Amino acid sequence: MHKILAVIRREFIERVRTRAFVISTVLFPLLMGTFTVLPAILLRRASGTKHVAVVEGVEGTFGVRVAQALMASRRRDTSAPIPFAVVRIRAIGRVDAVRDSALGRTGLSRKRAVADGLDGVLVLTEETLRSGKIQYYGTNVGSIAEMRRLEGILQPVVQRERLERLGVDPGVVLKAVGNVDLVTQKVAEGKLTGQSGEATFGLAYGMVFILYLTLMIYGSQVMTSVVEEKTSRIIEVLASSLRPFELMLGKVIGVGLVGLFQLSIWAGTALYLGSFGASFMGRMGGDVADAGAAAASAGGASFLSAISPALVIIFLVLFILGFLFYAAMFAAVGSMCSTVQDTQQVMMPVTLPIMLGIMTIFALVNDPNGTLGRVITFIPFWAPFALPVRYSITPLPLAEVLASIAMMVLSVIGVAWVAGRVYRVGILSYGKKASFRDVARWVRTA
Amino acid sequence: MTSVVQVERVTKRFAGHTAVQDLSIQVPAGGIFGLLGPNGAGKSTTIRMILNILTPDEGRITLFSGETASRDLSARIGYLPEERGLYKKMRVGDHLTFLGEAKGIARGAARQKGLAWLDRLGIADWTMRKVEDLSKGMQQKVQFIGALLHDPDLVLLDEPFSGLDPVNSQVMKDVVVEIARSGKTVLFSTHIMEQAERMCDHIVIIARGQKVVDGTLAEVKREFGGRHVALTFTRNGDRASEVLGDRSLVERVDDYGASAEVQLAPGGSADRLLRALVEGDVGLSRFEVVEASLQSIFIAKVGAEAAVAPAQEVVHA
Repeated sequence: MHKILAVIRREFIERVRTRAFVISTVLFPLLMGTFTVLPAILLRRASGTKHVAVVEGVEGTFGVRVAQALMASRRRDTSAPIPFAVVRIRAIGRVDAVRDSALGRTGLSRKRAVADGLDGVLVLTEETLRSGKIQYYGTNVGSIAEMRRLEGILQPVVQRERLERLGVDPGVVLKAVGNVDLVTQKVAEGKLTGQSGEATFGLAYGMVFILYLTLMIYGSQVMTSVVEEKTSRIIEVLASSLRPFELMLGKVIGVGLVGLFQLSIWAGTALYLGSFGASFMGRMGGDVADAGAAAASAGGASFLSAISPALVIIFLVLFILGFLFYAAMFAAVGSMCSTVQDTQQVMMPVTLPIMLGIMTIFALVNDPNGTLGRVITFIPFWAPFALPVRYSITPLPLAEVLASIAMMVLSVIGVAWVAGRVYRVGILSYGKKASFRDVARWVRTA
Repeated sequence: MTSVVQVERVTKRFAGHTAVQDLSIQVPAGGIFGLLGPNGAGKSTTIRMILNILTPDEGRITLFSGETASRDLSARIGYLPEERGLYKKMRVGDHLTFLGEAKGIARGAARQKGLAWLDRLGIADWTMRKVEDLSKGMQQKVQFIGALLHDPDLVLLDEPFSGLDPVNSQVMKDVVVEIARSGKTVLFSTHIMEQAERMCDHIVIIARGQKVVDGTLAEVKREFGGRHVALTFTRNGDRASEVLGDRSLVERVDDYGASAEVQLAPGGSADRLLRALVEGDVGLSRFEVVEASLQSIFIAKVGAEAAVAPAQEVVHA
């Protein structure tokens, strides 16, 4: 036990002391932040005021209303500049010609500081009202979000115009075409949780992502460290002093603790910032465009309140078991190889299930109690992903939770036993990379 | 005499070849025991089996009069592997502390002993430096300390002097001799006979996994017998070769160009050889009747061809 502690301490201290650890601890949240916030900011930049010409081939007030709707449209709770600047061009009877001349004024002209340079041309005809098809020619048609928004703005105007032409009272029409907005809230154990649908997904995704990252980064560090001990030949001295299993266990735990330590630094910082920065986060969330907003606003108070103590415990237990399960395999893979390059091919069987694990989340969120979810809760490769995610979305019977954890504990013991035998022979094998057939023999005879 | 290491009829096979075959060795307590043999003879494999890093396919190994070889004994054994290796990024002091802890000593004590040894070998200034900052010779010293730190009763050194300059080699030799003098047992392997000859009380020579010579140095030399002459000449090398080629005078020559070790033929005498050489005007600077050197015994027993390392490096599977 004393010896295992020595190995754990060495792994932990030597890793935490490295510049790489300090840098990654600081840099990773910065990068993540940049990756979520930056596109949102860029998106906002790009969606400054758009100059749109409305070519009216229709009699009446339809054109005016479209123009008004465009100019009045604002993104939710923003103080952003007016999204659309509109030029109306009446063109009854000569729509095509007017449209073509308007198209001539689109594109680069705005960059040449010509005031009426256009981003797009909207064409309204009688046909529009009949078929619901509105022609839009623009430089920004590639932006799906922007086209969706345009559609959203035009929809009620067209509906209103149609209804009015059919003789419906304008007042009634106004009421009828009002927006519908789904406000979601999660119910658990017969109680309102105050957790929105977005937050539910954010939480599930967050847990899976943390597990995925830890397995990929720290799991493979276990592997690399095993290979390095072989390459530097220190392994022989270690093997003469320690049982291989002690060595492997110490290494897995030591590296795992580094991962937990880094996570707790991040979590601690996030909580600390969150305690006085929630409003700031909220403002940021509102400010950025929809994509970033979901994640950022989910990071607000509702997100944190959604995390129940039971969920934290389940997540941590499965996190630790999952790490031990995969890290033992990584250690075995490392021992099969003599160089870090060799590991690239052999590690596939270990990394593939991890990648599948992160993919299961979409199915799980849609249908947490579906067959897939129920089955993989009892498969050791994916239980660490499935159980916390399902638990975060839907209440699970205690028996199922405990059974899954028990299955996981047994699997960890089994994998550690097999990995220990592979490791025991592997660490002293040099030269050719071991094949899986060799490994099967090691397990039988070691 | 109690034996510290008892290897009984041990065989170890790896995929494709037999590394050690039916080998029996008894290492007496105290003193320096030499495990000699050409490269690839099975020395390292034997040492690893004694350490229980490898397990024998047949036969058995007991340590410290009767205990089966196992990791539980590792606290009483110090080991310097042939392939040296340390954690490059660790500080020297921390590294030694860790190696001590791995042997089961408490952290504080391990650190203290490590520092004492560093001081003794003259590299105390490097305690806080990373291993990778040290010269190769200094790294060897650190590893050497790692093998001795926990004050083991049995020290296994696999090619301890390879890659060392004469000064460092001398320092380590002194340490080894001192350990042996304090009643501990040192077993070291080497293929450099001069070293073994100067240091060992007892030797075993193995070749191709089998034992060819076993005994105290004196016994081995007596048993090998013969009358030997060591000579050095300064000119007319071809004339010297001619004289030494005379089979009525000389049984066997171990020729080094300007010097040679000669085993006299049954009918020859040292007098006649000396006369012939003087007549040959070879400028003799040394002519000494000696015991056979370990080198010549080794060559005679193992055969010149076995001294060539097998092309394939040993791969464990």
